[in-house]
Amino acid sequence: MAAPSVNISVEAAIEHQIQEVRYDGQEIYLAPLSMSENLSKLAHKIDFYKDESEEKGKPTSEGEKDTDEEKVLAPFQPSLWPWDSVRNKLKNSLTEISVLYDVLNIVKEKHYMVTDPVSQDPPELKASLQMLAKKKSLVAAAQLLSTGAERLKRVQVEMTSNTQDNFLMELLKLRRNWRLKKVHNTILGELSYKSAGSRFWQGGTFEVLKTSDLAADGEVASRKSSLDVSIPSELEGVAYIQVEVKTVSDLMDLTSATLKMPAGLGTVSADAYWQQKLEVAQNVLFCKELFAQLAREAVQVKGTTPHMVVGNQILTNVFPGIQLSIVLCHYTGKEKKVNLAPHKLEHNHVLEHSLHQLLREVHDRNLNYSPPHPANAMLGMSKRRRLAGPRAMSRSELVEMVQSESLLEQILKQTKHAVLRIRTMHVIDQLAVSIQDPQICAHWSCLNSSLESSVRITITSYCYENCKTLLVLLIGIDTIKVVMKDGRVCTLLFENSELRDLIQWQICQHHAQSIQSLAKMQGWQVLSAIINSGHGDMEAYGTTTDVMLASPKGNVILAFHSNPVSGNKLAIKKLDPSLDAHISPAVTASKWASLAGDFQEINLNQLEGRNLVGKIDMLMARLTSS
Amino acid sequence: MGVSCVFSYPVPEGRSGAQVVDILQKQVETMGGSKTGTFYVDCETYQSVMLNPPKTLHILHNSEYPASCFAILDSGATLVADTLFIALMSNLKNIYQAWKGAKIESKGNRFQLADFILKIGSVSLAGSFKGILLEVEYCPCIVASECWAMLKELLQSLIGNIAESPPSALKKKKWMKSTPQQPQCCSTWTISTTLGKLPP
Repeated sequence: MAAPSVNISVEAAIEHQIQEVRYDGQEIYLAPLSMSENLSKLAHKIDFYKDESEEKGKPTSEGEKDTDEEKVLAPFQPSLWPWDSVRNKLKNSLTEISVLYDVLNIVKEKHYMVTDPVSQDPPELKASLQMLAKKKSLVAAAQLLSTGAERLKRVQVEMTSNTQDNFLMELLKLRRNWRLKKVHNTILGELSYKSAGSRFWQGGTFEVLKTSDLAADGEVASRKSSLDVSIPSELEGVAYIQVEVKTVSDLMDLTSATLKMPAGLGTVSADAYWQQKLEVAQNVLFCKELFAQLAREAVQVKGTTPHMVVGNQILTNVFPGIQLSIVLCHYTGKEKKVNLAPHKLEHNHVLEHSLHQLLREVHDRNLNYSPPHPANAMLGMSKRRRLAGPRAMSRSELVEMVQSESLLEQILKQTKHAVLRIRTMHVIDQLAVSIQDPQICAHWSCLNSSLESSVRITITSYCYENCKTLLVLLIGIDTIKVVMKDGRVCTLLFENSELRDLIQWQICQHHAQSIQSLAKMQGWQVLSAIINSGHGDMEAYGTTTDVMLASPKGNVILAFHSNPVSGNKLAIKKLDPSLDAHISPAVTASKWASLAGDFQEINLNQLEGRNLVGKIDMLMARLTSS
Repeated sequence: MGVSCVFSYPVPEGRSGAQVVDILQKQVETMGGSKTGTFYVDCETYQSVMLNPPKTLHILHNSEYPASCFAILDSGATLVADTLFIALMSNLKNIYQAWKGAKIESKGNRFQLADFILKIGSVSLAGSFKGILLEVEYCPCIVASECWAMLKELLQSLIGNIAESPPSALKKKKWMKSTPQQPQCCSTWTISTTLGKLPP
């Protein structure tokens, strides 16, 4: 049956928001918003921070729209502006930069605003606080340094230890200096000069090995590096080219030369560092190439002087009595130790260095062609050869151009020049020491080459340096060109005696010149001055120089005779005063009456004076007044 | 490189060129000359394709100057160049075309008589004998007018009246220094004028 009915009340939904529920159950509703209130509420929701240009005039319009429409618009916005976030970020950064720019402008330009430091009260210095702060910072710094030091120590220890990494490091170092390539499992290197222009048949291929593979078990790894190189057997040992210039007696000819055994050279130990081993092996190869080239040229020469090639030695006569020997000394350590008489090795380092330089020049010429490098013509022609065509050079001229000097010829020239120069030096020094009277002074020019030098010889008398005799000697390959003060030029050959004669003759001339200058100073008249006089006895060598002077009054005549062999002679003739009375009226002056007469020789040793010129000076001064 | 002049020696009737060359050589040898080798001079002609009237270019080689080649235009301009010049000519095929079958050459023996160098050459065009050219060079002097008298004396004893007057190329530059181009010019003019091989 129907239960007692329940009252169901139907009421409308609450339209207004409940503001408060009183204790008595009464609900107080919020007054519904008026239109303007609604508008202001919506306006608050708008973010004016958004781009203003977009929302020009829009805020009001947006506010007028319904919230529904706004909600509808809101989900659309992300899809309409996919770059929204980007745009926002850019706008922010622009604002920041503008602010920064403004601040910087203010700081820099100081036009409208100036930055001024805010004066603050100096902070209270608490000593203890400061100390604590400093201590803390020092501790931090010390920590950093100690960690750094620890790290370095660790790396150092790692470097010295013989590990796999070390091998790679060593390999890197090796690659910096030498060319390596990997062939199957082995690493091979090249130490020949082929890439530098050498055309020698012998190659230098070395192999790179790991010492850890070779070390036996239990062996203490005392090696310095974990990388080792294996040199080909023909390049083992140490080699150098010994160049010697020695005087031999004329009787000794080339055929009786003695074979040289290499003197005790140091060997390279097996434990040596790979760089040293490789350098030594490369030097051996270079010396072999040099010697092979020289030997080939020595055999092929068609010149006047024959060369002798015996085993590892090349002998050739430079000048009669002077021999040049070039020996390839290669000490591999396997030869028996021969006890040689310890003779002084006169190894000429300069010539050895020249030989090395010459071979390097040959290498260089093989590689580097002189510019231009035309595409259609032959490379490597010198400028003269290239101009031979347009200049229509004849066949003979072209043949001349083709001939070039061989290595042996060049080194021979250098040797000749060296020998000549040393000889000249000795002659001049000997003469300078032995002859005290006029002083001989030699000035060697600093600018000289391996084929030419020059020296200036000055002959002066002590205290009478206004008159000096100059000689310039240009020392060439075989000859010496002498240029004298008066411009005369003569050519001397390599004989020592020629130069000695010349200098001695110049000394005689110097005396004569000095006496003439004395005569000028003292007012004496030079009656005759003969450089090459034929008077007097014939001497073994040398030319005589004669000077005759007359005193101002005319009553004394001095005759000076100088010769390298017989020395200086001075003779005097005085006017006989007794003759004055007997002259006829035809004779105008007394000097004409005494043209004939005997000369008396003066003992130069007993005259007062330091040197010849001084003595004659004193004598002339004395005789002027008499 | 002295003064040189080139003369064409006519072959008398009834004698072959080789015989005449032989006679001349014997004469030189009796005069005292010694054979020092052979020489070879050749000349190729090129003609311009597009120009009207066409220009002719002669290119000569001389074994005395192996590194050079000489070029002469019909206007008289000469050029001394490296032998690569011929390679250049092959690049100029469109402008200067080689005249086929126009290679004329003179080869023979070279004699030295004190300061004189005598060259007796038989000239042939494409293998067929054309004539005889005699070149005499006096090495010490380079001015033609100074030594023409001496050259004339020598030549008259060799070839007689042909050497009455100096060749035309020499006449023009009597007072100037002679250059290597000079004998080539002489050769060309002599070849082209006396042997009748004139450019069209």
